[in-house]
Amino acid sequence: MAGTVAEPLDTERGPRAWAATLGLLSGPVLWMLVFFLVPIVIVAAYSVGVLSLFPTDVGFNLSDWKLLLVGDSVYMSLFWKSVRMSLTVSVVVVVLAYPVAYFLALVVGKRRYVLLLLIIAPFLTSYLLRVFAWKVILGDEGILNSFLVTAGLRGPDDPLHWLLYSQFTVILVLIYVWVPFVALPIFVVLESLDHSVLEAATDLGASRWGAFWRVTFPLSLRGIGAAFVFVFIPTIGEFVTPSLVGGPSGFMFGNAIAGQFTQGIDWQKGSVLSIFLLFAVLLLISMMGRFVQLRNVRVA
Amino acid sequence: MQVTASGGGRRALLAFFGTLVLFLYAPLAILTLFSFNDNRFVVFPIQGFTLRWYEAFLNNSDLIEALKTSGIVAAISSVFAVALGVLGSYLIVRRRFRGKGAVTGLLLAPLVIPYLVFGISLLVLFRAVDDFLKDALGVYFGLGIHSIVIGHVVVSLPYAILTIVPRLERVSISLEEAARDLGAGAAQTFRRVTLPLLAPAVVSAYLIAFTLSFDEYAIASFVAGRQETYPIFLYSSLRTRAALPQMIAVSVIVLFLSLLLIVGTEVGRWRYERRLEAAPSA
Repeated sequence: MAGTVAEPLDTERGPRAWAATLGLLSGPVLWMLVFFLVPIVIVAAYSVGVLSLFPTDVGFNLSDWKLLLVGDSVYMSLFWKSVRMSLTVSVVVVVLAYPVAYFLALVVGKRRYVLLLLIIAPFLTSYLLRVFAWKVILGDEGILNSFLVTAGLRGPDDPLHWLLYSQFTVILVLIYVWVPFVALPIFVVLESLDHSVLEAATDLGASRWGAFWRVTFPLSLRGIGAAFVFVFIPTIGEFVTPSLVGGPSGFMFGNAIAGQFTQGIDWQKGSVLSIFLLFAVLLLISMMGRFVQLRNVRVA
Repeated sequence: MQVTASGGGRRALLAFFGTLVLFLYAPLAILTLFSFNDNRFVVFPIQGFTLRWYEAFLNNSDLIEALKTSGIVAAISSVFAVALGVLGSYLIVRRRFRGKGAVTGLLLAPLVIPYLVFGISLLVLFRAVDDFLKDALGVYFGLGIHSIVIGHVVVSLPYAILTIVPRLERVSISLEEAARDLGAGAAQTFRRVTLPLLAPAVVSAYLIAFTLSFDEYAIASFVAGRQETYPIFLYSSLRTRAALPQMIAVSVIVLFLSLLLIVGTEVGRWRYERRLEAAPSA
């Protein structure tokens, strides 16, 4: 049924159709307004002191915003550290996933969907479990170190400490977690590529590399952009992985936010950090807007 | 000539693909291996085969309780997510109205919001509602299964829409028009024509929403209150070494069940859609 582009029914006009549209709208839209948009507005209200945990503290103020944005702020340096970590993860993930997506979309023949599923399947299994696997593997008394000792490569009292609880571990584990997800948007773009364009390029004398760099790669930028954004956003807000495998040096901005709500009870500061993170993400999306057509990310 | 890769390029890409698959599956394979290892600690060398970690988890009532809670939360939240997702998809594909762009954006927005920020927002919302209710009526909701369900519906909804929309786009509008011409009302047409044609996407959407919810930790950790879900239980026992082997055992079971579910659904959906595609032209 290719070519059947769904057009809205033209017979569906007039007040009854309008009422039906409104009826359909009310369910999902109300849910998202009440349980998604309103909560974020309330957090914004907390961030400027209009709402507070303790009724006596209520009063508009920007003190925590100033603390974050003005002068030497620990939170700002933590934020930039997290940006660097997320950038590293996103770039490496895209670089790893691209050849695989290319291979599946353009080189493999019939089996491509089965092989794609092989790559994506781990993403649909437990996130905590996949993080946890690395903790078991990389710990001081973990699988890798106990293997090194058994094999006689390290002394029993001399394990490789840096394997776990470091910035390196957080980055490694996040890469592991996100690679399967990213193969998909790149695959989708490459698969929809018009092969005749490539053939035209080679017919006109381009080498395979030339055709790749001047035709395939530019045409797949949309998928790369989408992949990048969809890894960067969750990793910049990450707090679970650092708390499991990061230790103090792997601590991220998200841990600082979570801490304000779980350990401390400074909801105003926590709200300021949350809203700041939200702004950062929105800024990124507005810059990368043309890549982030949400339709690029289709689920399996 | 093969345009996309030379013979050598093909082999290099295949080798790279193989390496990545190894990187993705080796940690999971290692976990599976150690779930049968007869040692209280998760270390080399392998000591011998045992099933006692599997027995231990079957006798761990807290863990079973947490698994049940997650099952309940996932079952309820995915029903809501899919129902709202079908409505939302129908709006996006079949209806014309002002502000459609904004509505689509709102429905898909949870894809681009860090779950951390959303979890906190939801916590803050429940707190505000409870404060208000306590002052006005002296009662309050508190946190628990209901708050986790609400949060999971929000984050599953975009995935449901992304699964259903492409399918709905391929359902020919003339089938619906034919039903209308033959005298069916809008609701009847939807129920007897559109919905059956959407069935494979609806099933996929349900399973995606279910797996997402069953595994979700970040949001649940803020709005679960004292209710322990499986990921929350898993997270807290990752910190104590004594419980490690049986947590590995239960994780391995969950892992294999979810892999089976994913592959089964994808294959099933693929077959069903091919049948549907073939049918109208026959």
